[in-house]
Amino acid sequence: MGKFVLKRLASMVVTLWMIATIVFMIVNVLPGDVGRKVLGPTANANDVAALNAKLGTDKPLLEQYFRSLKNLATFDFGDSFQTGGRVMDLLWPALGRSAKLAILAFIITIPISIGAGIFAARRQDKLADRVVVNAGLGSSSLPEFVTASVLLAVFAVKWKIGSVYANVPAGTSLFGQLEYLLLPAMAMVVSYFGYIARMTRAGVITALHADYTRTATLKGLSSGQVMRRHVVRNAMAPTITVISVQIGYLFGGIIGVEKVFNYAGLGTMMLNAVGKKDIPVLQTAVLMVGIIYMISTLLADLLIAALNPRVRLERGS
Amino acid sequence: MRNRGDALRDHWADSHSAHNSRRPEMLPGNVAWLTGRPGAGTLCAKTPGPRSISAHINGGAILNHSLRQLRRKVGPLENELIDAFEAGAVSRRTFLVRGSVLGLGVGALGMIISACGGSDDATGTSGGTDAAPTGSGTDTSSGTDTTAAAAAGGIKQGGTMRLASQRPGSPLDPIAMDNIGSYTPVVMSMEYLCGKGEGAARAPMLAEAWSPNDDGSVWTFKIRQGVKWHSGTDFTAADVVGALDRLAPTNLAAYIDPGSAVATDASTVTVTLKNPDGQFPYQVSPYNPQAVITPPDYEIGTLFDQKPNGTSAFKLESYDVATGAKYVRFDEWWGGKAYLDGVEIIFSDDNATQINGLLGGQVDAVIQFAVSDADALFASDSVTVDSIQGAGHRQIWFNVREGTFSGEKGAKIREAVALGVDRQALIDTVLQGRGDLGNDHPIAPVYEYWDSAQPQRERDVEKAKALLEEAGAAGISLTMHAPDLQEIALLAEVVQSQLKDIGMDITLNVESTSTFYTRWCKVYDSKTEPAGCDGGEEFGIVDYGNRGTPDVYLVKAYATGEWNSAHYLSEEFNAAVKEYQASLELEARKTAVKKIQEIAHRDIPYVIPYFYNTLTAYSKTVTGVQHTGLGHYFLGQAGFTE
Repeated sequence: MGKFVLKRLASMVVTLWMIATIVFMIVNVLPGDVGRKVLGPTANANDVAALNAKLGTDKPLLEQYFRSLKNLATFDFGDSFQTGGRVMDLLWPALGRSAKLAILAFIITIPISIGAGIFAARRQDKLADRVVVNAGLGSSSLPEFVTASVLLAVFAVKWKIGSVYANVPAGTSLFGQLEYLLLPAMAMVVSYFGYIARMTRAGVITALHADYTRTATLKGLSSGQVMRRHVVRNAMAPTITVISVQIGYLFGGIIGVEKVFNYAGLGTMMLNAVGKKDIPVLQTAVLMVGIIYMISTLLADLLIAALNPRVRLERGS
Repeated sequence: MRNRGDALRDHWADSHSAHNSRRPEMLPGNVAWLTGRPGAGTLCAKTPGPRSISAHINGGAILNHSLRQLRRKVGPLENELIDAFEAGAVSRRTFLVRGSVLGLGVGALGMIISACGGSDDATGTSGGTDAAPTGSGTDTSSGTDTTAAAAAGGIKQGGTMRLASQRPGSPLDPIAMDNIGSYTPVVMSMEYLCGKGEGAARAPMLAEAWSPNDDGSVWTFKIRQGVKWHSGTDFTAADVVGALDRLAPTNLAAYIDPGSAVATDASTVTVTLKNPDGQFPYQVSPYNPQAVITPPDYEIGTLFDQKPNGTSAFKLESYDVATGAKYVRFDEWWGGKAYLDGVEIIFSDDNATQINGLLGGQVDAVIQFAVSDADALFASDSVTVDSIQGAGHRQIWFNVREGTFSGEKGAKIREAVALGVDRQALIDTVLQGRGDLGNDHPIAPVYEYWDSAQPQRERDVEKAKALLEEAGAAGISLTMHAPDLQEIALLAEVVQSQLKDIGMDITLNVESTSTFYTRWCKVYDSKTEPAGCDGGEEFGIVDYGNRGTPDVYLVKAYATGEWNSAHYLSEEFNAAVKEYQASLELEARKTAVKKIQEIAHRDIPYVIPYFYNTLTAYSKTVTGVQHTGLGHYFLGQAGFTE
């Protein structure tokens, strides 16, 4: 197991290097120079050149690339081109905000969707099953920003329930934060519910028809024991994989929801950084999302291994 | 505890003892009370008119005497203005605006109006300079709202006002900031020498009074005493000199050199200009947002959020570009104690979020928004929308130096485009009626020297088609570039369909602002003649914000400036601009501006379809808000209604 984790960590470093390289290449393909983007169209060329010299963005690309790699390797993430402040001063709070929203969304989504999936699987092809499947299909086919916009227009603007701005003012109590975060979290819940519920349903149906389930039932276990010990345990592997992938997505991919609710999370930071060609912020933010993605899939693999001895054995060998 | 208005009123009592200075309406920034008709019994000092014969002799004699004294004290520029007003050559509104720019205090202006009368509909000034409000709101000068509400016991002490603003687009360097998102957080704490009065008028701020010398080349500012920096130190005349020295090589480079400003004593600063300019106070007022008076420990490039300080009613408590800025009341503000406990600015990237925030009650104001996003605000009865007439406009540029639009044929195509656009339809559809007609020159009706007699260019599809035919360009295909900014994308679409009627096939290329500005001009200060803006596309739409004077448009877009995307070079035009800038008296300025309008209208390097109104909105629960349309919200006298 230890060897497995070490191997995975080593491959993470390689992946991160590739991410850093790809981001650097993409950002430098974008049109416009950094000094001009930061200072705006009204600045004169001397000021633009001076800023480029100060930021080092007038150097050859290869030199800039190696310098950025060296900085990343030494955990020196540099200063934001846009604000002049430290990149991590900008991104740590953003990461915290994204984590808060993601955790809330997960706390709501996971029990509801797994519960709905199991509920539907046990009533396969009955009305309840159809309702869950179709509701899941409908909700997951709605883009998050559409759900977010509808929730915002109906709840926050029309009924004045919840907030248009999701950023939580400092000093708000844990319960008070719900007022700000519930609507964007619900937008994410709607999107993920269908996916996770259907995945759970499929896993449970497969497990319900499996030989070991029949054996367990025949040997006289109660249906609750069969579900807990045999069905759910075996059915969860694909669901956990899906959830782990969604975690990375939640942190980096919910730009639409963050934008609608003006939430200053990692997604918003990345979007702004692209617009302003703020390479240090963009590179660090993408790396952060990459690390979260890799850690969550690693944890998922470990969890699946813990649940399923066969996987553990294969990995150990 | 002193009320926040008391200090202002005391100041007024000191400066203008001839008047009943305790009148609450006489707060700086409010000259509305002067616009009423003068009472009976007036006497004009220089040449008493027929009215004066029937005047009340005693009152008239006192006014007459005071006016003579005033005329002796002030310089030729002020006397020229008084002459023009007296002769009926300028309207009362124009007189108030010009008088405020020349540094005539409210008391002096009131006395002259009382003595000379004057009308709002004097010849040649139908546009007026006052930013006449349209739409559902008014161009609020806080004085009126605040004092009226205060008198009725309408404003309560306390509360935090939340403003929705664009996210700062660049570091908060007060001198180099270039976007409205950066202006708002900086000017919440920092102030100007000259403040904003009613409409385009100037009002005292950090300078209590100012006056030009005989030819407008040296301006003397009386610096307000008893002002404190947020850091606790005293604000001095030397601080003003330091701030102007930092502006000299940058923002004010066209006007002054380092060392041009000198503190002659503890309360006086004289500024010697490179060239005479009768409108210089505009350059040290909110109309030139970067001209805030920065603290003495600032250098060029110091960021406001890293060294927060200022002289206003609110000092910065925290700043985060990701979320917003928080301010707390500064109790030692020279204007007295503000009503509000604090101000919070909430940043976001798009208008829709800001508007939803106001409608949802999460913010109390939206600093600025485009008409295209705002139907719900116009329809709301809990929100005041102020529509401020201004000079902001869009330029449809043509490269007149080379390519399709150059030469004689090009001139015909340009004229065809100018005749092909239906300006009124553009205002009606794109601006929902909130704008003034443009006439292919950058002089807006809001300027007091606008020549209203110039014939308006009207749509003429047949003539436009004929011109294209003559130029051999019937059915021509062109690409029009435009930024995705406010209403411009919609404008581009409507222009595209209008020009289809004259047989032009326009392909639109609407891009994000960050991409667009690299395409509009590639080299901004090229040394090729005309200097600047080389390598850009030949045809497109670009935005120009509101300015107190048209100098930026004239010098940067039309003359040899760095935004001259038309590559327009006309000695005749440049001479008219020089004449305009050198003209210190209104009549001379009108003559020069008339020429500018005619040349630009004739040569058409740019089609200017309209001048748009700037929109801001705030909840009806707040009052006393004073704003400029350039991102400033002066809230020293604002508060929540009870």
